[in-house]
Amino acid sequence: MRKFEATPAFVPERADWQLLPFRFHRLGPRVLLTNMVGEHLFVSRDEFSEIADGVLPADSPLVRRLRAKQVIKQPGDKAPLDLLAMKTRTRYRRLAESTGLHIFVVSLRCEHSCPYCQVSRQSSDRVTYDMSPETARRALAIAFRTPSPNLKIEFQGGEPLLNFGLIEEIVWEAERINDLRGKSLAFVIATNLAFIDDYMLAFCAEHDIYISTSLDGPADLHNHNRPRPGGDSWERATAGIQLVRETLGEHRVSALMTTTIASLDRVEEIVDCYVDQGLNEIFLRPLSPYGFAVKTKAFSRYDAGRWLDFYEAGLNYILELNRRGVDLIERYSAIILKKMLTNEDPRYVDLTSPAGIGIGALVYNYDGDVYASDEGRMLAEMGDKTFRVGNVHQDSYGEIMLSEALLEPLEQSFALSAPMCTDCAFESYCGADPVYHYATTGDFVGRKPLSEFCRRNMAIFKLLLDRYETDSDARAIFLEWAAR
Amino acid sequence: VSAHELWFDGSNYSADAIQRAAYKLSDKVACDVTTKEDGHRCVLEITEPAAEGDGALIAEFRNEVLDETLRARIREETQEFRNLILALAFSETGLVEDTEP
Repeated sequence: MRKFEATPAFVPERADWQLLPFRFHRLGPRVLLTNMVGEHLFVSRDEFSEIADGVLPADSPLVRRLRAKQVIKQPGDKAPLDLLAMKTRTRYRRLAESTGLHIFVVSLRCEHSCPYCQVSRQSSDRVTYDMSPETARRALAIAFRTPSPNLKIEFQGGEPLLNFGLIEEIVWEAERINDLRGKSLAFVIATNLAFIDDYMLAFCAEHDIYISTSLDGPADLHNHNRPRPGGDSWERATAGIQLVRETLGEHRVSALMTTTIASLDRVEEIVDCYVDQGLNEIFLRPLSPYGFAVKTKAFSRYDAGRWLDFYEAGLNYILELNRRGVDLIERYSAIILKKMLTNEDPRYVDLTSPAGIGIGALVYNYDGDVYASDEGRMLAEMGDKTFRVGNVHQDSYGEIMLSEALLEPLEQSFALSAPMCTDCAFESYCGADPVYHYATTGDFVGRKPLSEFCRRNMAIFKLLLDRYETDSDARAIFLEWAAR
Repeated sequence: VSAHELWFDGSNYSADAIQRAAYKLSDKVACDVTTKEDGHRCVLEITEPAAEGDGALIAEFRNEVLDETLRARIREETQEFRNLILALAFSETGLVEDTEP
């Protein structure tokens, strides 16, 4: 029995073509085209003119490339519409599965006094700054109301290990509830590791808890950025990382770094520090415009341009290390590359549209207030509760998810209806981030030509695409990062 | 602040395309558009002068208006396919449920 039609069945009915929805961006002598789901190709300016004017010959080799990327279709082609629909559905699948990440701020207390910190308090006042068991129970009930089949509970602070007893209670209670619910349940503790001990590690091992920590680079830089009594933050963090790796497993710990002005000229040393610690990923992060980073003016000490130089030098160095066989990924690039090169959504809250607030994450503060994102909570600590979407003692899950404080910024910031974003060739890779724009401009959308968020991300998108197109080693590495 | 007056023929350019271009370059120029019977008068104020001079910014603005005009044409030409694809995409998600009678 013949399985396929004969060759003539695959010849287009007529030798012409029609445009499908696509966006473009001129980059020097080339023009970037992205289809409805962000798949890209570059054409020359002359080729683009032929496409735009509808005069590209049907037998041009470019027609095949454009059809493969669903930028054009030929009359009779039915698959492109189905394919684009399927890919669109895959990209937006997260909307039907909200909310996967639930952040419990179990204590605001912390013994560090980092000038860029968003929220923590140096206080021994457990009553005022620790989450109560009752608040935790109510927050858990809301978390389990969300339709997501995957539930990640992340413990944050302050320093969450200062209220470890409550972490234990939440983990036990979540596992008890989940025996009936059957969700895929995961736990993360975001900690500076200064207080980690054998008891805590044994508990983490027993309950498969992942550890996320902070590591800003070499000892002098880290200890300068993250002061604590004794000035030994780096020594404690790195000892903790090794302890976690030995006890919980090689890849059960990851670290985040924050770029201060003191970091800008030291990216290779920072990367080397991660490699020395046996970590296989690094996240090159700029400062955020919230909390003490604004009060202490740390945020305004460098602009997007200086941070981009830092990021590019770091990326180049990481690529060089990969060429030498070192297994190290830059996490922010990997998130974007997954969006560029696959149809999977990495569900990174800052780079989604509709925005990730509420849909991607909910934050239960120590006092029971619920925020649409961690940055929304940080803003609240500065006195602005715009992103407070409810309180676990007063509001139901439905009231929280349908609150104006959540729906208004979601609707206003939706990139497909935001000025400039709607026509942007990079829109599929980017995000709405209403909290950032509210914090910096006072409205949820912001003016994109003046937005550092826009400037920073556009530059990264261009950089990654340029490396992907012009450097075969980088292309292979990027494909591997995107697949993780 | 230097200002330049530009004229865009109404049969080739829409006020929307000019406004979109003005928004996109609003970190460098401020633009005032007045629509007349046969076209659009546009006063361009240079707020962030370019090293290459005002001429480069004016050329960039004109090219951006052209690109915005092209984007409008692509949007219009592909609107039907876009709607069809989105309808297909969300028809099987369960996100849009039938309302009860």
